[in-house]
Amino acid sequence: MTIAHLSRRTLLQAGSALLASTALPVLARAQNTPSGGRLIVAADSEPKNLNPAIVASNGVFFIASKVVEPLAEASFDGKDGLSPRLATSWEGSADGKSVTFKLREGVKWHDGKPFTSADVAFSALSIWKPLQNLGRVVFANLEAVDTPDAATAIFKFSKPTPLQLIRNALPVVSSVVPKHVYEGTDIAGNPANVKLVGTGPFKLTEYKPGEYYRLTKNADYWNKGEPKLDEVIFRVLPDRAGAGAALEAEEIQLAAFSAVPLTDLARISKVPGIKVISKGYEALTYQLVVEINHRRKELADLKVRQAIAHAIDRKFVVDTIFLGYASASTGPVPKNAPEFYDAGVPTYAFDVAKANALLDEAGYKKGANGTRFSLKLRPAPYFNETKQFGDYLRQALAAVGIDAQLVNADSAAHQKAVYTDHDFDLAVGPPVFRGDPAISTTILVQSGIPAGVPFSNQGGYASKELDDIIARAAVTVDTAARTDLYKQFQKLVATDLPLINVAEWGFITVARDSVLNVSNNPRWAVSNWADTALKS
Amino acid sequence: MKVIQHLIRTPESAIGLGILVLLALVALLAPVLSPGDPLRIAARPLLAPFTDPSFPLGTDRLGRDVLAGIIHGARTSLAVGIAAAFAAIAFGFCIGLTAGFAGGLVDEALMRVVDAFQIVPSFLLALAFVSVIGASAPVVVIAISLGAWADPARLTRAQVLSIRERDYVASARVIGMHPVEIALKEILPNALPPVLALSAIIVAAAILTEAALSFLGLGDPNVVTWGSMIAEGRNILRSSPSLSIFPGIALIVTVVGVYLFSEGLTKTLAGRRAEE
Amino acid sequence: MLLIVVVLTFLLLESASGDAVDAYLLSIGGGDAAVARSLRQAYGLDQSMAARLWLYLSSLMKLDLGWSIAFDRPVLDLVVERLPNTLLLMGSATALSFGLGSALGIVAGARPESPRDRVLSTISLILYAIPSFWLGLVLSIIFAVQLRWLPTSGIETIASGKAGLARAADIARHLVLPVGALALIYMALFLRVMRSGMAEAWQLDFVLFARSKGLSRTRIVLRHVARNALLPLVTMLGLQSAAMLGGSVVIESIFSIPGFGRLAQEAVSGRDAPLLMGIIIVSAVLVICVNLVIDIVYAALDPRVGASESGG
Repeated sequence: MTIAHLSRRTLLQAGSALLASTALPVLARAQNTPSGGRLIVAADSEPKNLNPAIVASNGVFFIASKVVEPLAEASFDGKDGLSPRLATSWEGSADGKSVTFKLREGVKWHDGKPFTSADVAFSALSIWKPLQNLGRVVFANLEAVDTPDAATAIFKFSKPTPLQLIRNALPVVSSVVPKHVYEGTDIAGNPANVKLVGTGPFKLTEYKPGEYYRLTKNADYWNKGEPKLDEVIFRVLPDRAGAGAALEAEEIQLAAFSAVPLTDLARISKVPGIKVISKGYEALTYQLVVEINHRRKELADLKVRQAIAHAIDRKFVVDTIFLGYASASTGPVPKNAPEFYDAGVPTYAFDVAKANALLDEAGYKKGANGTRFSLKLRPAPYFNETKQFGDYLRQALAAVGIDAQLVNADSAAHQKAVYTDHDFDLAVGPPVFRGDPAISTTILVQSGIPAGVPFSNQGGYASKELDDIIARAAVTVDTAARTDLYKQFQKLVATDLPLINVAEWGFITVARDSVLNVSNNPRWAVSNWADTALKS
Repeated sequence: MKVIQHLIRTPESAIGLGILVLLALVALLAPVLSPGDPLRIAARPLLAPFTDPSFPLGTDRLGRDVLAGIIHGARTSLAVGIAAAFAAIAFGFCIGLTAGFAGGLVDEALMRVVDAFQIVPSFLLALAFVSVIGASAPVVVIAISLGAWADPARLTRAQVLSIRERDYVASARVIGMHPVEIALKEILPNALPPVLALSAIIVAAAILTEAALSFLGLGDPNVVTWGSMIAEGRNILRSSPSLSIFPGIALIVTVVGVYLFSEGLTKTLAGRRAEE
Repeated sequence: MLLIVVVLTFLLLESASGDAVDAYLLSIGGGDAAVARSLRQAYGLDQSMAARLWLYLSSLMKLDLGWSIAFDRPVLDLVVERLPNTLLLMGSATALSFGLGSALGIVAGARPESPRDRVLSTISLILYAIPSFWLGLVLSIIFAVQLRWLPTSGIETIASGKAGLARAADIARHLVLPVGALALIYMALFLRVMRSGMAEAWQLDFVLFARSKGLSRTRIVLRHVARNALLPLVTMLGLQSAAMLGGSVVIESIFSIPGFGRLAQEAVSGRDAPLLMGIIIVSAVLVICVNLVIDIVYAALDPRVGASESGG
């Protein structure tokens, strides 16, 4: 499914060897790969809470997903786009009020105790639903988890909850932690949030703050023959230039999440022994979005928003800012989610003349100095690319007579200004599409969200029609009907432009040729790496 | 005029002065030399230097003219440096003057504050200040001067203390001059020159601090500075080194110019005082 | 004095846009208003500013540096963990720049205004004018990536299991580049102070006397001129210690050294007031200690200065 979306460039750079290896069946691969060795990986952050059951974020998963496992992981070729982990099957009831999980048997926690349905029930009710940043949305109506036997967990919901949503959310929200370690303790302050206990292929054995995390092989892993590696070391390299240099000097073997800057990829791909891979992030699509403050009179006018959409040259953004490692967006759902994606939405071609005409029509004529009005533009500081797009947008808007003043702030200040104080006219944000529009996408345009919620609609946009569709989709159990509602959702957003979707991108992995089985699932960087191996 | 004659006597200070005059000209004439917004996207991105006569130094990641950036960067870098030095010296001088002249408890209190600022690493202070208040040119200027005012304050106080005891001040007091008048007429003109000699060093340090702040992503995005150009260029240091080398050379030339000039100035002032 | 530093730092972070919870929510990719509220409660951020300042100051009196929000660990632990790395880095960089600077300063000042003096002075100035991050990156590309003589970053080979002398040698190898970058930059200051001190010393009576006695030039340079010029250099060392601590922020980030500078940067971006204040207090104490030592050295070098006269 994803092959179709790979650009010519990606194909060239991914290299034929990689494509051949991922095309092989899983079993054959598992037998042929060498085992042993230490894989050293660059990490750019050190999360203070490493528990993925509480903090479902990529920074945490990057390290913790090797130790703590979810019920199911995303997969390129599995049924429903999933491959089983701690659950072996899942089935929803017709009324959408219960989901039954069959659990894997013979699984042991790293401390030797057996894994049972009680652990799943405890994780779901005591952690995912009340504490987890994303689980609070997905499991909002979870009432009880029945455990008729040690290998069955039945989730009961008070209101219909679509199985499609649960399925799409499983890899992200369902990390299971041991009940016997957490029960009766202060969960948020439990020492096991740092010294993880899980069922995964690796155990977290050492953490030296500011230097590295050391993960060692779990000899009792439920899938015999895995993991292949003896050790995985996450080496903390906060400086962007550091990862590329360390890879070239063979001090590390892998840098994920675009730790090597895009601008350096063309050069580093020519270094012998190093491969650049743009696969393996299909389920972690980031979207480049212009957030709009609709409280501002000019921006409340649809014509002005259309003009801004026409003023942006998406081709320039993709080719120059992302150097081809992105694609132009059409709406709020990325092409990497083919289940929901609808290409038939209104699009806004790059057309400066049309943008100028729309602004004239809206009644904002150019003044004597060629300027129609001034705006405050806040690009999010999290990525090089969001900042560069801010620089570009200022120029693109100047071309149609809008003077945008850039405001540069660090992450905490940006977040406060945009999502709490609403002190912006336009902002550039990188929201993430997490497999299902209901998880973190509809919140970007839905009305009635209190101030202070990051990555949500804080622009004051309100559309009853859109709110209705979102509310209906949340309780529609039938997969086809629900999907159809989200197609309508995309059309409405692209027509009324509560925000402007510009581009969508995944990250890039750079690895030494000796690392095998890289990027073989759509969430590879944050999956368990049980089959990853090193050629000696 | 006499000062300038003195200055161009040694080759170092003559070179320093020459560099600074040239830079000042470039900075003042920037809108003429390179009209329009230096941040506008002018051509194909990453044009190599010395290949296209209309973009002699090539273009950067987004296709902005590097030469235009350097010309306009002279304006902002010098403005930031001079403004920060001016603010630091003006503030430090006032505090030092007050402390030295008032003496007693006021002196004691002010000097403790000066101590406090001197023991805190100034870059750390600037870093904290800018990330907390937000990055814009005035904030960067204030942040840099916050870390730099303590030295001039201490120096001024020392000067005031030594001048206070001199004969001409004592005689002014005897003839019944008002203390404020004494401070302004007698002490100020004599205390100022050595403090001014510090200014060049502060200008150089300010330009470098601005560059380091830009490197950490804390510059003003609406204007182009050499620091921000180097910081942006360092991401492609390996493939397009010229992007950070050209503004780097400009920065080095400026700082060296400022230093040479300040040494010359210090020597000249010392010479004049010796002659008096 | 320390109290002023603490209160000023606290007020600065208070006026910041965004607090520790904003920074944390961002790092985990978002959360709703209820999460934010309960986190603010847990860290006491919902109390008034004065109450928190008072709480902090009163625990500080008991030598308790408080709890870091961004790391969820005691500030003292973090500081103790990072301090040795920074001391090692700063100590060797200071020693190297002091040594190189004064040695070259002697060479330059032996014949003031000579071509040798001019070349040395200019080179040191150019080094001083290179932004530290740029110099650090270029050194790392040349020596670590191209020539592979030295490691690109880190304080020691990770999880190497080395101990004793082997470990010390390993750490030394990792420190060569960052120390070199810092030392090259700060060398200029020492060189210039030494040189100008020597230029002045040539005019002093006892030097003129020694020359008239026909003593060899080398002897005069080393025994009389250089010795006399060393005093302002020592004073300079004290003044520079604060600047060096600040300068290490950038170098530590480029070379991935878990030290004070990087910790401070993380504290600022995480809006972690207790941690930042802890760092500033400890570095202030450090600077005070360095200056105390320097006063003692100064007194030993120059019997004319009584310990009572020197301030810091």
